[in-house]
Amino acid sequence: MLKDLITPENANVFVGKLGDILEKAIDKPLGYAINWGRIWSLWPVHIETACCSVEFGAASSPRYDVERFGIIEAFGSLRQCDLVVVQGTITRKMAPRLRLVYDQMPEPKYVIAMGACAITGGLYFDSYNVLPGIDGVIPVDVYVPGCPPRPETLIQGCILLQEKIKRMKARKFV
Amino acid sequence: MTTEIMPGLALQKVDERIMTLNVGPQHPGSGHMRIVVQIDGDYIVACDPDPGYVHRGEEKMAEYRNYITNIPHLERPVIHDSCNVLYPYVLGAEELLGIEVPERAKYIRVIASELNRCIYIMYWLAIYGIFLGHSTMFMWPAGDREFLIDLMEKMSGARVTHAHFVPGGVRNDLPPNFEDVCLRQVNYFEKRIKEYAAVFYDNPILISRTQDTGVLSKQDAIRLGTTGSVLRASGVDYDLRVKEPYDVYDELDIHTNVMKEGDAYARSRIPWLDMMESCNIIRQALQKMPKSGSVRTKLKPNPKTKVPATVYKRVESGRGSLGCYIVSDGKTEPYRLKLSVPSFRNLIALPYLLKGEKLGNMPSVYWSLNYWPVEADR
Repeated sequence: MLKDLITPENANVFVGKLGDILEKAIDKPLGYAINWGRIWSLWPVHIETACCSVEFGAASSPRYDVERFGIIEAFGSLRQCDLVVVQGTITRKMAPRLRLVYDQMPEPKYVIAMGACAITGGLYFDSYNVLPGIDGVIPVDVYVPGCPPRPETLIQGCILLQEKIKRMKARKFV
Repeated sequence: MTTEIMPGLALQKVDERIMTLNVGPQHPGSGHMRIVVQIDGDYIVACDPDPGYVHRGEEKMAEYRNYITNIPHLERPVIHDSCNVLYPYVLGAEELLGIEVPERAKYIRVIASELNRCIYIMYWLAIYGIFLGHSTMFMWPAGDREFLIDLMEKMSGARVTHAHFVPGGVRNDLPPNFEDVCLRQVNYFEKRIKEYAAVFYDNPILISRTQDTGVLSKQDAIRLGTTGSVLRASGVDYDLRVKEPYDVYDELDIHTNVMKEGDAYARSRIPWLDMMESCNIIRQALQKMPKSGSVRTKLKPNPKTKVPATVYKRVESGRGSLGCYIVSDGKTEPYRLKLSVPSFRNLIALPYLLKGEKLGNMPSVYWSLNYWPVEADR
């Protein structure tokens, strides 16, 4: 396939199409392996937005130990992270910062909305400073309900995200 | 030069030697807040804390909810200390509504409040440990606090947000056999936290990082209005459980831990000593508690306050004195509710403590203030 494409005349065109060609070549044989790699090394960003961070901390404590499911504790740099766990209420002051953090992360990136506040505003649905959910700020992959969710619920949400990644097309992000 | 990205993030001209650093809100050492520090080389010349990232308008929300439906959202500021943060509101509402609390309920409240204080301090200790780079000190407290959370879960049914205190008592009676389990767990817990001395408090690395760092003198501690463990670490003997006892604290024998140094080490040690004192209080309360009886004076639905009145109640929470000021105009909702939170009062000391410190000492000073950003923002 590659032999037909590369000629001295269209070498520049080929470079431009390299991404497409690689995507097509990689998707079938390597897609599974790439997704497998993504599933077991999810690095969450260390951004705490509200009180759900208590249960997020408890999830990495010895009793629950989210690390055994491939979710590493939140201590990476933004450029190495691929998971945002939005830990609770998003206020009008925090929302632009959350968007900024999300935009700075490289693809692929996934979002878990943790807690009722991150999903719909929760208990603070009628507060003047709270956004009714984070859907308007960043796209969400998995919703984890609860106020706050128990660590088990958060772990289940992470496993759901891994299931979702397994079925995603790997080439989308190459 | 200045391109306005968003409010508070604009570039500004400063001295060539001075560099401005934003620490937070996305930073492994900040939490839900931002600290703007100006550094000259490695030394901090000025520091400007910027809280308010979790301002959810709790006080305004309280004005359109009645006295019972105010309970769940008023404990959210500090969910891992939820009994203590709700305590002043419940005491105030009881005075406004004019209800008596059964004796057994008062003891259950004391036990729940002390258990919550331990749960809070253990979480704080875990965070303090991990931000100083001490991973063992994250794992040990985070694991040990689960035993106390189990106790609270037995008592109230929820892991962290208990909503257990209601005006008129507590929501449920203790489950059967709770006293024995509680005593056993608390004894084990006390034995366990004593081991922290060897791994954390007597650790030469911790001592070298925190001793003589961020020293707050006794005069400054009083002048800046700090409270709780910060105040007691600076040599002021002040504990509301002793000075202004509420519920049944006057019947219990409470020792106040005071240290004179006022540095970050003293501030990190005082909460640890407080936990041992909490264990003592729980044991005393379990002994003195009436074995049976009512735990709740039932209220009418939608209770009204009798007359227009104001009330100010405060309790000693895991961080310091926590006050709640309620103005009532005789309706079913409070006219105005104000929370006076210890986190915000301790935060005021931060710019004074950080001036002249090395940047590397910032986490050890900042977290030693026993500060929880969500509470400060309300």
